[in-house]
Amino acid sequence: MGRLVLRRLLSIIPVLLFVSFAIFLLLALVPGDPAVTLAGGLTATPAEIARVRAQLHLNDPLLVQYWHWLTAALHGGLGTSLSTGQSVGSQIAARFPVTFGLVVAAAIVSLIVGIPLGILSGVRPGGSLDSGARSFSSLGLAVPSFWLGILLVSILAVHWRIFPSTGYTAITASFTGWLKDVTLPAVTLGVGVGATLARQLRASLIDALDTPYVRTAWAKGGTRRSVLLRHALKNASMPVVTIFGLQIGYLLGGAVIVEQIFSFPGLGTYMLSGITDHDLPVVQGVAVIFVLFQMAMSLLVDMSYSYLNPKVRVA
Amino acid sequence: MTAVTGDVGLQDGKRPSLRGWWAEHQRLQRFLVHGGVLLSIAWVLLMIVFALFAPFIAPHDPNAQNLADTNAGISAGHWVGTDDLGRDVLSRLIYGAQSSMQVAFETVGLAMVLALLIGLVAGFRGGWIDYLLMRGADAGLAFPPLVLALAVVAVLGTSVNDTSFALAAVFAPGFARFVRGQTLAVREESFVEASTSIGTPPARIVIVRILPNVMTGLVVGIAIALGSAVLAESGLAFLGLGPPPPASGWGSMLQEAYDTSLFTHPWSLVPAGLTIALTVLAFNTIGDSLRDTISGAATKSRRQRGVKRQRGITAVARPAQPTPPVVLSQATGQPALLEVRDLSVEFQTDAGRVRVVDNVSFDVCEGKIVGLVGESGSGKTVSSLAVLRLLPSPPAQIVGGSIKFNGRDLFDMEFDELRRIRGRDIAMVFQDPLASLDPSFTVGYQLMEAIRLHEKVTRAAAKDRAAQLLEGVHIPDPAQRLSAYPHQLSGGMRQRVMIAMALSCHPRLLIADEPTTALDVTVQAQIVELLRELREKEDLAVLFVTHDLALISELSDEIVVMYAGQVVEHSPTADLFGRPLHPYTAALLAASPGIRTEADSHALIAGQVPQAGQFPSGCRFHPRCTYAEEACRTAPVELTLAAPDRQSRCRRVEELTLTGVGSEVAIRLGADPVGAS
Repeated sequence: MGRLVLRRLLSIIPVLLFVSFAIFLLLALVPGDPAVTLAGGLTATPAEIARVRAQLHLNDPLLVQYWHWLTAALHGGLGTSLSTGQSVGSQIAARFPVTFGLVVAAAIVSLIVGIPLGILSGVRPGGSLDSGARSFSSLGLAVPSFWLGILLVSILAVHWRIFPSTGYTAITASFTGWLKDVTLPAVTLGVGVGATLARQLRASLIDALDTPYVRTAWAKGGTRRSVLLRHALKNASMPVVTIFGLQIGYLLGGAVIVEQIFSFPGLGTYMLSGITDHDLPVVQGVAVIFVLFQMAMSLLVDMSYSYLNPKVRVA
Repeated sequence: MTAVTGDVGLQDGKRPSLRGWWAEHQRLQRFLVHGGVLLSIAWVLLMIVFALFAPFIAPHDPNAQNLADTNAGISAGHWVGTDDLGRDVLSRLIYGAQSSMQVAFETVGLAMVLALLIGLVAGFRGGWIDYLLMRGADAGLAFPPLVLALAVVAVLGTSVNDTSFALAAVFAPGFARFVRGQTLAVREESFVEASTSIGTPPARIVIVRILPNVMTGLVVGIAIALGSAVLAESGLAFLGLGPPPPASGWGSMLQEAYDTSLFTHPWSLVPAGLTIALTVLAFNTIGDSLRDTISGAATKSRRQRGVKRQRGITAVARPAQPTPPVVLSQATGQPALLEVRDLSVEFQTDAGRVRVVDNVSFDVCEGKIVGLVGESGSGKTVSSLAVLRLLPSPPAQIVGGSIKFNGRDLFDMEFDELRRIRGRDIAMVFQDPLASLDPSFTVGYQLMEAIRLHEKVTRAAAKDRAAQLLEGVHIPDPAQRLSAYPHQLSGGMRQRVMIAMALSCHPRLLIADEPTTALDVTVQAQIVELLRELREKEDLAVLFVTHDLALISELSDEIVVMYAGQVVEHSPTADLFGRPLHPYTAALLAASPGIRTEADSHALIAGQVPQAGQFPSGCRFHPRCTYAEEACRTAPVELTLAAPDRQSRCRRVEELTLTGVGSEVAIRLGADPVGAS
């Protein structure tokens, strides 16, 4: 287990180097002189431009610039926002819990939706429950999250007034307030991933139910419950966990849209403001955090995989 | 795996008739018949037509405002109403298809070119080029997809082409990995190695050999990616990062409706959202059914119609009154523990229903061992699985006969009643112990479960008993082995565990389905020895299914020989070996490596067991039988009583004297079948 984690962490290093270089290049790739852009565009005075140039080491060769940027980033310095002058790092620290809470809540929604749906359709493929569950999954994959979010707001918040339409309460301020605010966004974000999980679970349950070990479980007198929910489900859950790991990226990316719809002060809205304000240090900083976030979540998923699959655990 | 595109694409020259062409292309049929595919293709085509000819199709100028007629409902002039500025929604939807379709196809085209380039080079060249390219792809995949697109848009801008570039950057890494994987796999195949060795230039190999193979798998990915691109494009537009106004993208239409009309005109949220959802749904449906067509899943689901679905128990649909035939044990007068009467099993296949087991009858008496023998395809395993109704329905269905255990008909039982017999009164041991033990649970857990399913005992007591069971099958260190997983044990150990599990509740009948086939020869002998020992100790009756006559000769009291779904001979073991009463039995004896017959030919039986559904007329064995005459080819042969305790399904049983193993029974036992010749 420890060795597995260590091996995964080591394999992350070259990828992180590539990612950080790519993110660093965002600045260098901006058409025109980045110093002019960063100093405020066409209105910038030559003195301001020169100051930015020196501050960002823009006169150095590209790799040296990268080195400066990387060492600063490793010390938590993600630069300062061009539009507000605030430290990007501290802004991210303040906003991270919002996005984290939303993504975790959405992940829980996706499991609550996906697992029962997958079991229902996998246990009796071709039945009427299966057809219903499959249609629901197809819709869940096709309906854009932003449309679903808007419809939920329109029906549940505006029309029936069950939930607040937008806004955010910190979990530390009021848990019930947070729960109320986060429910609709989490459903919006989680349903699509839940549909993906349901499809995968259905397919792998059908496969598992066709195996010799499930036949053995029947032959030794297993109840339907023990065979389906213990032997078939545990084995079928492994590919589902893999898919879940791959879906985390969609949860994080989707969070950007959902935060925008529900006016959440999270990383996504921060990144969007960075893009509309041409505030590239903000975009860079948030991108770095999103990548680290995704890698950490994938690692967690991998570790749960080793719990489910004894062969991985021993290796 | 042949290319699906080959079915859809151009045909080579002659086309006799449309109907003939259609009939020839079953795969295309399967694809199109698949639920909703035609509708989906029609929808996608409609969107493409909208995109290409929007100015000719749209009834209004999409940007013509009419502030006197804002947020109007459906009318003759405005089929889908108007928006907050009085613009015609339908026309805006039609124009919206332009950016969506352009971005979708540009994105996927660009991503494909990039991915093919990266993947083929990485897969074909290998080495450090491969390493660098793949770490680059990993880096791309390390971003949450939308975040990567946003970062690229932040640099490039928000025009249609910028959006395509940004999204292509998102899709390319995953596709590149796939192409590389396929390239590696194809490269290993012999034809590519052969081309390299005769000096074909690498580029040519890539284009001629590898590309078609890779494309087959990519087709599905392309369809799904088109849908995802539509979704992503409208997502970016919704965030205000799409093509700037006055362009009317679906995403920006939705965003405008959200900003202006959420509280006043909620219905205005529907048209654009629905259009996006339907378009994505159409692409996904096409992709899914392409995948199903390639993998053959579509056939499978169709095949399963017609049989009542039941979970964990074989469906029974038999005629009301089965007639009891003449059966062996009635002659010997012993009460039978298991009475199989006229058992018939059918499978639902592509070609319709096929009878795999046909009117099979035999008994297993208390404490006896009965061998059920035949080549693979003879129906012996299906018959043995039918006892506990372990054949999955669909496709299997029991269509006739009865199986009585202790006088109770197992085919009359509901699941819960039968479940209590399974594992407690009748237990099973299967062929491949690695596949038959659950890989995710420890051996101890599986043993304890077998006990606790039938008896109310504490965990601790069950654990003690599990250890005793392992000791009983001679597994060293039983207490420690309880926490082992199946893959940590040797093949012989695993089968011992299976046997221990089968014996956990002291059953009266053990059904062993080729329990030694997956094991090597020395282990086989040990397992047979163990079964014999346990049979003495536990006073078990055993139904032993095998193709190995040498093995069964040591164990069984009587033998049932099956061929092509029917019983062809049923005799006490010694009689059968001394003088077989069916040419098939004689041929099996002659072909068995562990047995020296009087003829001592070791000839293989010519031909193969016919497939179910293609059984020959007359005697099913006649095409392979050296004694067949004209009458054997036409009239079916009944199973007849050839001696007081013997049955044969041969017309010529009276006149033939077949060669057995002789009076001295020169049988080489299972321990040394290889040295027999």
